[in-house]
Amino acid sequence: MKPLDESERSGRSRRRALLMERLQAGDADACRELLDDIGPAVTGFLRRRIADSSELEDVYQEVFMALFEARQTYQPGRPLEPWLFAIARNVAADHLRRNWNRASWQELAADPPDRPDLSIDESPGPAPDLTEALEKLPPNQRAAFSMLKLEGLSLEAAAERSGVTVGALKVRAHRAYKALRKLIGGT
Amino acid sequence: MSPSNETRHDTLHRALVDHLAANLQPSRPLWPVRRRLAVWLAIEIAVLADAMVVTGNDFAQKLMHPPYALEIGFFAASGLILAAMALSAAIPGRESRPWQTPLAVALVLGGTLMLFAVQMRTDTPLGQFVSVGSHCAFVTCARAILPWIVLWWAVRRGAPGDGRAAGAMVGAAAMLFSFAIMRIACPIDEPLHLVTWHLGPVVAVTLISTFAGAVWLRFPRRRASSGH
Repeated sequence: MKPLDESERSGRSRRRALLMERLQAGDADACRELLDDIGPAVTGFLRRRIADSSELEDVYQEVFMALFEARQTYQPGRPLEPWLFAIARNVAADHLRRNWNRASWQELAADPPDRPDLSIDESPGPAPDLTEALEKLPPNQRAAFSMLKLEGLSLEAAAERSGVTVGALKVRAHRAYKALRKLIGGT
Repeated sequence: MSPSNETRHDTLHRALVDHLAANLQPSRPLWPVRRRLAVWLAIEIAVLADAMVVTGNDFAQKLMHPPYALEIGFFAASGLILAAMALSAAIPGRESRPWQTPLAVALVLGGTLMLFAVQMRTDTPLGQFVSVGSHCAFVTCARAILPWIVLWWAVRRGAPGDGRAAGAMVGAAAMLFSFAIMRIACPIDEPLHLVTWHLGPVVAVTLISTFAGAVWLRFPRRRASSGH
């Protein structure tokens, strides 16, 4: 893609600012045009911060939702880009912080228990509950849980089998643990 | 991005844009920071006027003494700067000016030092110290409630990226201005009383506001997990 010169860049910035003002006024066409225009810039911005493509899609959606929710904070007459990328940066930072917290929790939770208390064959009490609860999970969370806790695969091996990064697998497994805790009623 | 990912991304983008465009409602832009700050200041001036009318303190005479006048000016100015910072922080892409934080801190420290221009007294009976002081602490907080609510609401209408910092600025702004007003309303100039019962609530409420901001002011707001 040919880099824009200064006048093209300022022309594009002015056009975006005008579209944003129309968006604030409730013009749906301007909304579509502006979001289509800024989409590639937002993707590029996020790609420099988030490597995993499925995570990137999640954050991309969150950025657009946040832009939409915060549209009243744009000050007409000002350039759009600083406002836009400040929101994108906040959303990406928030996402990374949440992932970091989840991953830290996951590191603790991933330590093997002293006694295998989740074995379906060996513990007649909780096993039926667990089986039923597992059925209620989305397939990717169920698979992540099964590979890590029932098959005993390492994080790397499970991630490779699922075709996702270790980070993404950790997130799925964490969500599975959370959902299972709720379904089974454990602590 | 692989071709399949690109197609998925385009599909997602289209669905997202259509959804947002379909749900678009007109949204009035927030007032500029200066205008909102002027409204907040008008409220503070009303609170100050009320304090001046009801007080039995001879503040007009005391204002002739530079340390007293400067001290009040320093605390009020720091409150005003922090309020401006809080309102700016609610606008994405609007950074506060680099001199604002150091200046606000310097004003608070300068004002605190000036409190000690008067001799400290430690011979006040404890019961009297507590009963008089707790009333002052209560009134300091009470006079800050309306400005705090107004500023909190104004910031929450925006999109502060750092809710904790925004909460701290909102709390500190309202309480520091209230501290300045209380220096006019309260006839006691003794430093131990002022530090314990006037400045103590400022610190306490700022801390509470900081934690509240981390939960309720942060943007993007928390949504339910998508569960995939």
